[in-house]
Amino acid sequence: MTSMAIPEAATETRTLRFGFLLRHGPTIFLLLAIGFIFVFPIAWAALSSFKSTSDIITGTFPLSWSSFLPTRPTVENYIYLFTELNFQRNLLNTLIAACGQVGIAVVASSLAGYAFARLRFPGNGVVFALLLLTAFVPIEAIIVPLYRIMQWLGLVSTYPALFLPFACNPFGIFLMRQAFRDIPLEMEEAAKIDGAGPFRVFLTIALPNVKPTLATLVLIQFIWAWNAYLWPLVVMQDPNKQIAQVAIANLKSIPNYPMDGPLFAAATAVTIPLVILSIVLQRYYVRGLVTSGMK
Amino acid sequence: MQATTLKPPRERRWSRQNSNPVLGVAMILPAAVALALFQFLPLITAALNSLQSFSPFDQSSTGWVGFDNYLELLADPAFRSALFNTFLYIVLMLGLTIPLALVLAVLIDKRLPGSTWARNAIIGALAASEAVTALIWNQMYEPSSGLFNAILNAMQLPGQPFLTGSGQALISIVVMSVWKDVGLPMLIFLAGLQAIPRELPEAAELDGATERQIFWTITLPLLRPSVIVALFMTTITATRIFTPILIMTQGGPQGSTTNLALYSYLLGFEFQSPGAASASVVCMLLVLALITAAQGLILRDKGAN
Repeated sequence: MTSMAIPEAATETRTLRFGFLLRHGPTIFLLLAIGFIFVFPIAWAALSSFKSTSDIITGTFPLSWSSFLPTRPTVENYIYLFTELNFQRNLLNTLIAACGQVGIAVVASSLAGYAFARLRFPGNGVVFALLLLTAFVPIEAIIVPLYRIMQWLGLVSTYPALFLPFACNPFGIFLMRQAFRDIPLEMEEAAKIDGAGPFRVFLTIALPNVKPTLATLVLIQFIWAWNAYLWPLVVMQDPNKQIAQVAIANLKSIPNYPMDGPLFAAATAVTIPLVILSIVLQRYYVRGLVTSGMK
Repeated sequence: MQATTLKPPRERRWSRQNSNPVLGVAMILPAAVALALFQFLPLITAALNSLQSFSPFDQSSTGWVGFDNYLELLADPAFRSALFNTFLYIVLMLGLTIPLALVLAVLIDKRLPGSTWARNAIIGALAASEAVTALIWNQMYEPSSGLFNAILNAMQLPGQPFLTGSGQALISIVVMSVWKDVGLPMLIFLAGLQAIPRELPEAAELDGATERQIFWTITLPLLRPSVIVALFMTTITATRIFTPILIMTQGGPQGSTTNLALYSYLLGFEFQSPGAASASVVCMLLVLALITAAQGLILRDKGAN
């Protein structure tokens, strides 16, 4: 019975597949082209990072294979980057800033998110609305007075200055509040009947139940901190503590000394791991981005 | 009946034992202090500074001047140009990003081979940093040796100045920003599309509706909440475009790419003029508030009809 059905099903699948391709071919081609357009600039930079600076400057124009591909591949840019320019120092600084931001964001957002979701205290609604309001204030708008506040706190050119101001953000609080609200109340009440206090319930029942959201929070805060440019540019004046993004942009503006090769190498080293991370963990990444807008 | 027992009403989220004001306040305290110090205080400072004049030597306040800073700004052609450019960025970004995001989301939602590839590529662009993206595009836009002019040249088309032409620099930055930021509205639309029950378009298809009819009469009206969110978020993105401008053109040529964000930054840090910089920031926030309020109003009216 089954042996009869298999060849029949195979021809059927083949005709189906042909009809499918005929009907959807143009759309599939369009999707492939769209993907190519969005991959291209980053892939082009990654390929160019294996060209020497002079090949980048002279090889791109006029159009030929050497506009896109390293025809004389070399890793000299990477060697220069990690020996002469000490770029690992900048990467380490970025990592410190990102870990600081993620750590503070997780603790502060979980605490506040749980309080807003579950605890009753005077001013709950008003304070929450006020905090959300700050989501509409772009950092570009407050950067000058914020810099003065950092001066007043004596934090300019310190590591905490890099991550402290933006670790507590309305996005994280909002995200955690939504997650805590989705936990069935019965679970927490059962623990309370067993005699657990509210903070114990938060630690032992609520937090373990929002692990996926915590993963989202960690990932998004990490990406934001990793990509930060403007604030570190302003607040960090010590080159030894400067983060990678600013260090890369500085390579562009060295007069009379083109650094195109090291620039592409640094851009690749900073961007490719993060892009791969966001694609592999897109379940968490996308949910965080969409949640921040939807609810 | 069963539905009500499964889904408790709103009031139930506070159980009686949870009335614990001390713990509640203690738990929000770290976040509240941080946001007060790093968000509200700068905002209030900016608003107050915009009404004061400052000593050019030590940056200390020399007294209240009412709206003098604003009048001074309005008299400055560079400010008026920055204000106009801010609107231009917003209009161009919305006009290009929202339709493109919608088309991309509809294409990807077909779940054909290639959908995952396109979605991953768009998410990758979204996760890349603004600074690195600007640096890469800056290389491609390079007028004498860049890739775009190499391609134009190979197609026998005249080379373009891109970022160095005052008529093209702003649109060049917008094109880059659309490439980078279209992912967020696209993901919002995709989530919206996936929330539409498949039976609806399928039923319409059985009734003989064309794909286009289904899109305009079924899909788009059901996507309205997503459109509102996407418009809103893209407006914020467009108002605050800053890093690409700073990296690619520094506001030039001849101020043609300077928006209010960059103008305020230059006034505050390069020209050490806190009063005018603060007034300019307040104007930028007003533009943002006005445009989002207008969007809310227009879209609400449509819903009522």
